[in-house]
Amino acid sequence: MSDASTTPTSTAANTAANTAVKSGGAAAATLIRLSQVGKTYYRGKEAVEVLKNLDLEMPDGAFEALMGPSGSGKSTLLNLIAGLDNVTSGSIQISGVDLSRMSEGERAKWRSQNVGFIFQTYNLMPVLTAAENVELPLLLTSLPSAERKKRALTALRVVGLEERASHRPDQLSGGQQQRVAIARAIVTDPKIIVADEPTGDLDRASADQILELLVKLNKELGKTIVMVTHDPAAAERASIVRRLDKGQLT
Amino acid sequence: MNLAGIAVKNTRRNLFRTVLTVTGVAVAMLAFLLLRTVLSSWTAGVEYSAKDRIATRHKVTFVMWLPRRYVDDIRALDGVKAASWFNWFGAHLPGKEDQFFANIATDPKSFFDIYDEIVVPEDQKQHWLQDRRGAIVGSVLAHQFGWKVGDKVTLEGSIYPGLWEFNIDGIYTATRKSVDQSTFFFDWNYLNESARDSAKEQVGWIITKVPNPAQAAGLVKRIDQLFDNRDIQTLTMSERALNTSFLGMISTMLTAMSMVSVVILLIMMLILGNTIAMGVRERTHEYGVLRAIGFMPKHVSAFVLGEATFIGLFGGCVGVGIAYPLINQGVGRFMEENFTGMFPYFRVAGSDVAIALGLSLLLALVAAAIPAYQASKLHVTDALRRVG
Ligand SMILES: Nc1ncnc2c1ncn2[C@@H]1O[C@H](COP(=O)(O)OP(=O)(O)OP(=O)(O)O)[C@@H](O)[C@H]1O
Ligand SMILES: [Mg+2]
Repeated sequence: MSDASTTPTSTAANTAANTAVKSGGAAAATLIRLSQVGKTYYRGKEAVEVLKNLDLEMPDGAFEALMGPSGSGKSTLLNLIAGLDNVTSGSIQISGVDLSRMSEGERAKWRSQNVGFIFQTYNLMPVLTAAENVELPLLLTSLPSAERKKRALTALRVVGLEERASHRPDQLSGGQQQRVAIARAIVTDPKIIVADEPTGDLDRASADQILELLVKLNKELGKTIVMVTHDPAAAERASIVRRLDKGQLT
Repeated sequence: MNLAGIAVKNTRRNLFRTVLTVTGVAVAMLAFLLLRTVLSSWTAGVEYSAKDRIATRHKVTFVMWLPRRYVDDIRALDGVKAASWFNWFGAHLPGKEDQFFANIATDPKSFFDIYDEIVVPEDQKQHWLQDRRGAIVGSVLAHQFGWKVGDKVTLEGSIYPGLWEFNIDGIYTATRKSVDQSTFFFDWNYLNESARDSAKEQVGWIITKVPNPAQAAGLVKRIDQLFDNRDIQTLTMSERALNTSFLGMISTMLTAMSMVSVVILLIMMLILGNTIAMGVRERTHEYGVLRAIGFMPKHVSAFVLGEATFIGLFGGCVGVGIAYPLINQGVGRFMEENFTGMFPYFRVAGSDVAIALGLSLLLALVAAAIPAYQASKLHVTDALRRVG
């Protein structure tokens, strides 16, 4: 988090990566690779095949938007990429690590180090302050308390809510709560941020602020972002937009 | 901030429900402690029984009398140090039938040989030995009725009908808790002289003192054998057994009480389990979020168990905090003063406090075990799909 306030131009590598993505991405390495991924849910005896033989590559440093009708499997795909769930068939490799071969516990550990989560409904713990909510993921690390607090405040500064550190969620607006959630997502400095309809519950102005912030995380901090959205204005901010329909990329 | 801190903070989520649950646990623990104190102080009362005294009564029932000469027969046995006798008088202050106190006729001359733990100032003792209508009363009883040495007291008899006049010759205290300090003892000769013919030369029970407790059991048998072929047979037992049989009815009640205390604990567990289960159900989505962030099933169940532990222990502490002063300063004094024989020491035992707190913790964990297990078994994506 220490480079949170540095500008992209001050980091040559970052600048290079961003330029590569914007110019079409030939030079950017593939971060996320799905091969022949299938996902089937079972409701009792009835099988629901949500994803089928899906191939997908996402470059490092990309800002991806996933769109598609309701029930098309966007959240399912996002959950697989985030290591929340396992594939029924095929494989998912992220930075060369095969998620589909990991146990549930291994995936949990991997998530805590590599993925930041942003949900539609913010999902902050109501009894904790903004700073404590942001600090939450760090409780799984061995960092000393003082360091955890420092990092939580740095993350809150990135989302512009440092002065709200001691406020509880019910004292914040929806947009502010979502920014706290974003701070929580970046506090462990993960490579990937997944966001499932991050602006779904927000008004236009707050939504734009959130999207601005996501663009900033992508460009300035080099986070790879995978965002599910229904909102065309949100998708516009992404560098790559993919559409999913009936479990197939179109 | 740490995980335990979050578990504790979670109890504030639904403060009203938490307060109700804590109150429920506290009340249950208070009731439990009260019952436990009744039980253990009663047991203590029996424990205080002298081991070198044995009691002889009518074989059939305590209510029937033994001939006075049996005392001399017992005194003639080998290994008997002293024997004295007693009659339940069953009188009360005229017009005050509801103010129960034990009043017992005895033989002042042999009385102090038997009850060497009873202390009366020497001049008062000498006075009692001379005074046919004399009585000595326990300090607690004297305090209760405001009696002083020299007072005249009239009692109205029921077993021995009529009005009986007594002089308070002395006030006794006891050096051990084996006798209560709220009994009224008076000279059996006064009773015997004035009793109707059928009640003359009759005694209620005989207490025999043996030189050492090891001989008590043997003597119990020998006394009963001695009277085996007489018209009236006897039943001899240790003082402890006498105290226990005295309280036969109460002991049944105490058994019921200990069952009630178990029921109370079960109810407490259900209340707690319900609160925890409701919390878990409401927070399913949140547990999904925590799991997504990287928390493990063990962390989720630790949150649930931690919260239950806090509520259980907090409720237990509140219960103990109320029970302690209530029993030790309120109920306890009352019981000790009014029911010395049964409850010579009616105070919350440290061990009962430990048991109460231990049970609060244990039952909280048991109550939370199933919700905690269910929370830990949640599938992350399922939990996330579950709305609020
Ligand atoms: N755990 C599950 N068990 C059974 N069926 C499931 C489960 N999760 C998702 N599904 C089904 O899979 C399909 C895709 O669901 P998914 O949540 O991925 O859709 P989505 O594209 O995110 O939709 P929306 O835009 O409404 O969020 C739906 O038909 C859904 O009912
Ligand atoms: Mg969805």
